[in-house]
Amino acid sequence: MYIHNLNPSIKAITIILSVLLLTVVFDPITPLLFIIWIWIITLFVAKVNIKKFLLFLSPFLIFAFGMFWSNLAFGNEPTNPTEVVSFWGNNIPIENINTALALSLRILAFASLSLLFLLTTNILHFILSLMQQCKLPPKLAYGILAGYRFLPMIKDELGLIRSAHRVRGINRAKTLKEKMHQYKRFIIPLLASAIRKAERTAIAMESKGFTGSRDRTFYRQFTVTTKDWLFLVMMLSVLITLIIFAWQIGYFRWYTGEI
Amino acid sequence: MIQTAVIKVDQLTLFFEDYPEKPVLDAINFESMAKENLLILGPSGCGKSTLTHCLNGLYPRELDGKLTGDVFINSKSIVEFAHGEVSHTVGVVFQDPETQFCMFTVEDEIAFGLENKGILPSEMGKMIDHVLELVNMTPFKNRSITTLSGGQKQKLALACILAMEPDILVLDEPTANLDPVATLEFIDTLDQLQQQKEFSFIIIEHQLDGWVSLIDRCMMLNNKGQLFYNGNLRDGINAHRHTLEQQGIWIPTPTRLALNIEHQSDYTFDHLPITVDELAAYPLPTPVSSTRITKSNPLALKAEKLTWTKKSTPIINEVDLSLYEGEFITILGANGSGKSSLSKLIAGIEKPTKGSTYLYEKKLNEWKERDLRTKIGYVFQNPEHQFITDSVYDEVSLSLRIRGLNEADIKERVSLILHQCQLTGFEESHPYTLSQGQKRRLSVATMIVDNQSLLILDEPTFGQDANSTKQLLSLLQERNETGTSIVMITHDMEIVHQYADRVIVMEDGKIVLDASPTALWEVPSEQLLNWQLELPVQVKLDQRKQKDVSYVYS
Repeated sequence: MYIHNLNPSIKAITIILSVLLLTVVFDPITPLLFIIWIWIITLFVAKVNIKKFLLFLSPFLIFAFGMFWSNLAFGNEPTNPTEVVSFWGNNIPIENINTALALSLRILAFASLSLLFLLTTNILHFILSLMQQCKLPPKLAYGILAGYRFLPMIKDELGLIRSAHRVRGINRAKTLKEKMHQYKRFIIPLLASAIRKAERTAIAMESKGFTGSRDRTFYRQFTVTTKDWLFLVMMLSVLITLIIFAWQIGYFRWYTGEI
Repeated sequence: MIQTAVIKVDQLTLFFEDYPEKPVLDAINFESMAKENLLILGPSGCGKSTLTHCLNGLYPRELDGKLTGDVFINSKSIVEFAHGEVSHTVGVVFQDPETQFCMFTVEDEIAFGLENKGILPSEMGKMIDHVLELVNMTPFKNRSITTLSGGQKQKLALACILAMEPDILVLDEPTANLDPVATLEFIDTLDQLQQQKEFSFIIIEHQLDGWVSLIDRCMMLNNKGQLFYNGNLRDGINAHRHTLEQQGIWIPTPTRLALNIEHQSDYTFDHLPITVDELAAYPLPTPVSSTRITKSNPLALKAEKLTWTKKSTPIINEVDLSLYEGEFITILGANGSGKSSLSKLIAGIEKPTKGSTYLYEKKLNEWKERDLRTKIGYVFQNPEHQFITDSVYDEVSLSLRIRGLNEADIKERVSLILHQCQLTGFEESHPYTLSQGQKRRLSVATMIVDNQSLLILDEPTFGQDANSTKQLLSLLQERNETGTSIVMITHDMEIVHQYADRVIVMEDGKIVLDASPTALWEVPSEQLLNWQLELPVQVKLDQRKQKDVSYVYS
């Protein structure tokens, strides 16, 4: 549970720094090796359920594959058209393959990093830690928490409004235009009740002495310890090592704005 | 020893910006002493919630309007308090259990108030355990708030406030959203707490039953925001009985029964009784209970082996049910027993996993949705959910337009329905701007305008004051007399007693009793408690009298 127990803010900073570092790199090897490293951590150190992990990852896999394919199909004119690989009877320039791989793998790397964070962090703990370590204003932080609590309520309410309107003899929307119109009708009762709920919650919070000032104590305290810094240093040094490795085998390229 | 008031309200007058000509509160004066429990009575819309906001320091800081006069808390004017400091002395429990919390778990929520107060984290654990023990919720410490029942949520709200150790609690209709048994439990908890901890409370309620014994003093507000009585509850009811009835202020049910006796039989109580015991002490003849003629009407709807499972948990379990034309049925049962689900299944709003429902011998799913809706009307708990158009007139005429009636017919039909629902004159108003009672009647209007033969209502009297409840019920009774079957989910046993000719009691997704109300009253009290039902006051009274008689003769 090492990853779960890390300070959420430091974990987030580590992820952000890794992403920033990855954006300046443009070769297929660095992200590929880094992805493997993240997956090992996610599945074996953090012990995230593999089914859950794959489920969350699958949309990104599809997106990354789409990116890969479209870059092959509509790639730029290569500067070196003689170096090609034959693939299903098509000659594809190696340069284009490299670009496509680099782009799709970096998408996967960003996704894997985000999932490593999301699947091992409690949202409440993250926000509490942001307040304590990163000076997030309590007004904003508790607002986000209260809003987060509303999401399931709003979902339930939407279901209710839908059936309430059906009872009025309004038929189920079939075309896209009808559907748009229908959602416009749902929005007013939904907003009316959301605003009322938000106001009530705000009043309840104030009458418990909440002022939004930073001058407050915390029941759940988050501190930064050596193990948190260790995680940050470890992740970044792995990434830097990989970059150096890619450099040495001659693959490394700076990112110059390819899409 | 001269006692100083914990709260002193001095000539408090308040206007909202949108209505500068009509004050919400008009020159209110009162004091609240330590160890004194105060009741504030008033019709809905009399400014009770506004008063709460004045007492907890929200106003004048957050007020869009004008406030004159002053509120003193422990002799210090409320404007001199630092932001958030009032909460150390005055704690508030609000009406809606869903919107009082901002954290995810029980312990975090209690800690939230302590954090605001700046309590050291090392001391919080002990304090949280202590208040949870006070409200009997220790096993729920780590539970997620969304998994709690309404009653548990209100007890949690109480615990959160108690943890901050205020001198006085303001309870703003804390039991209005709870079922009768959860209400009694909440009142009991509060009663026991007062024996262990020193605090007093101000309760703002319109459903009074159960609170009477805890109250030391009572204040009455009218719908102009003026205080017209301040003193003993009993004397107040005695002196202002007519005003109370006129304003639609909720009075204890035994008192209401006594007032009915006054109206019917030229008798005047010198002291109006406010509890069942007091009413039973009067030498009054037991009224002949009107046994309703059992109707042998044609079958309207028949449900066979209805089963509904949601995420592999059974909600409704093999329910058989027959409804006959012209019946007035109430569905009773604890929260979560499947009342709403069953009503939605028979209305064809939800589809059962197994089993089928027949309306006039034709399966529900064989009916065209549009035709079905002209037969069955369904009134949702929150009227706003059903509103679609921008004016009352359009709202009522909507389904007639869908059916393609001509404008003259529509006009005639709509004005008749609006008249029946006492909404004449509001044709052009936007549905959202109506009062709670009017919104409710409008939602009923839209569901009877097609002359639906079956009308299903999900807790229609919820959050309504005495007057609008009365208006709604007489409207329903009128429809019922012209042949509409009414199926109503309710917690209000007085309604069951007065209007229903059949009761259905649900427990764990099954119908456990389907009989006449009279048969329900004879069910042993342990069983009723199990179903979370309470006897209506009139029945309690009759049973008391019978006991007295048998005591005398034995």
